[in-house]
Amino acid sequence: MPASLLANLTERPSFNRVLMRTLVVVAYVIIFAPVAMIVATSFFAQEIVSFPPPALTWDWYLNAWDKPEFLRGLVTSLQVALLAAAIGVPIGTAAALAIVRGQFPGKQVIGALLLAPLAVPGVVAGSGLYMFYVLAENALDRDIKATTQGLVAAHVLLTIPWTVRLVVASLQGLDRAAEEAAANLGAGPFTVFRRITLPMMRPGIVAAAMFSFIQSFENLDLSLLLVGPGRITLPVAMLNYLEFRIDPTLAAVATVQILIVGVLMVVTDRFVKLSRVV
Amino acid sequence: MALLVLPACLLVLGLLIGPMALMFRISLNQFSPTQLMIEAFSFSNYVQAAADPYYQEVILTTLGMALLCTALTLVIAFPTAYWLGRLESRWKSLVVIATLFPLLVGNVVRSAGWMALFTREGLINMVLLKAHVISEPLTLMYTPKAVVLGIIAVVLPYMILTIAAVIESIPRDLEDAAANLGASAFQQFWRVILPLSAPGVAAGSILVFVLCMNTYATAVLLGGPRFKMMAPAIFDQFVRGNNWPMGATLAFMLLAVTMSFTIFGSIAFARRYRMR
Repeated sequence: MPASLLANLTERPSFNRVLMRTLVVVAYVIIFAPVAMIVATSFFAQEIVSFPPPALTWDWYLNAWDKPEFLRGLVTSLQVALLAAAIGVPIGTAAALAIVRGQFPGKQVIGALLLAPLAVPGVVAGSGLYMFYVLAENALDRDIKATTQGLVAAHVLLTIPWTVRLVVASLQGLDRAAEEAAANLGAGPFTVFRRITLPMMRPGIVAAAMFSFIQSFENLDLSLLLVGPGRITLPVAMLNYLEFRIDPTLAAVATVQILIVGVLMVVTDRFVKLSRVV
Repeated sequence: MALLVLPACLLVLGLLIGPMALMFRISLNQFSPTQLMIEAFSFSNYVQAAADPYYQEVILTTLGMALLCTALTLVIAFPTAYWLGRLESRWKSLVVIATLFPLLVGNVVRSAGWMALFTREGLINMVLLKAHVISEPLTLMYTPKAVVLGIIAVVLPYMILTIAAVIESIPRDLEDAAANLGASAFQQFWRVILPLSAPGVAAGSILVFVLCMNTYATAVLLGGPRFKMMAPAIFDQFVRGNNWPMGATLAFMLLAVTMSFTIFGSIAFARRYRMR
């Protein structure tokens, strides 16, 4: 008895340690295996993916952009994600400010409404927008589907819930003493907002901008029905290609997407601790 | 102040709620191969979706996959969440970011990674052949097993992060107390940790179940053209069949199921256990 008590104090036996460690390893292998494999494949010299590769090469990173669908897809996706974040983040930030600071009826309902785009399946929201766009095209006699504007409008929808959630969280943790002090020292409401509140909201806004951009950049489900000839986003272009084959060309394009997302996360992490905001 | 919410509300109303209402109205119309859509007001599409063997199979496949993947994900994720929740290391935030990172890479890229692993001469077959576990390469692509693995990889981070957040808030003293009172490792898990982490398990499972129901890229790329889940079936109705009423009906059914789960989840675990 004393021996087992001592064991309990020195070592922390939770549930079966070996089984537990195995499952932790299994979980991370499952999470990382596909990402690691696609990066590795992009260097395989042979066009048919086989293991082990006969030789390694950088060439696919140069050749991939000869395929117009990938280059155009990358440009379209970057364009749409930038515009969607540029429109959605200010609008979402304003709404978050009003929700935390304002006094008005129906705040709960409005909060739920603004988070709703997260709860609606992407393919479902995309189907609704597709029919809406086609009917509007017929009524207005102009293109909406497969235009940058149409895609940006849809993707702004993705940026709103992320922005509202992240900025609301950053505002709720704010100490209002600094704002009161500034006001007592004679600063007007606008000066207080510009010099005190806005800088304190910065981590939330930076995180919101990053998540908004990434959500739009990697989005497939919502965009599927809204793309068209000449206006195809990168994930849809990759999906169309993958329905026929997997090869190092595609792997190189996918690796570029992984790199863009990774760099964005590292840069953002310098402004805000990502592990704390998410 | 209240005016500041107006642009965001108008956007969501105009681009989400409006189109969803339009979609519901269209689901009550009739499809005709010649005129495409005939104005009507009947629930016959819903009846057809429930009675037709093709749609039945789609619905049952989707529900079955979602249940199976959620259960498997929970079993794999719980120990990992416990490990992460109890981790005291300066690398902890790095581990959290690393768990999050694949999520942000997108489902198409990760499905492509699985495709590269699953080819006949791919890593999995080569390792198994070299180890003499198998004598012939396995057919992995376009099987339900491949889809299950692909979906689990997509949803694991959500489950891990949701449960880890709850486990972090359980004081270690409770485990120590149980151990000192003679509880075995299994009893500590079964009688202390599991009941206290139930809200995280429930929230994570609901979130993951809904994500599994919505699977598109993983089902199309790893399941192949004959493997049908709800989201690809909806897409087909619009693109291949040009059948708006049926597409709208299936989409509305998927929306109803996922929304009722999400709403149930947020009412049951409001605020404290906010879903990611």
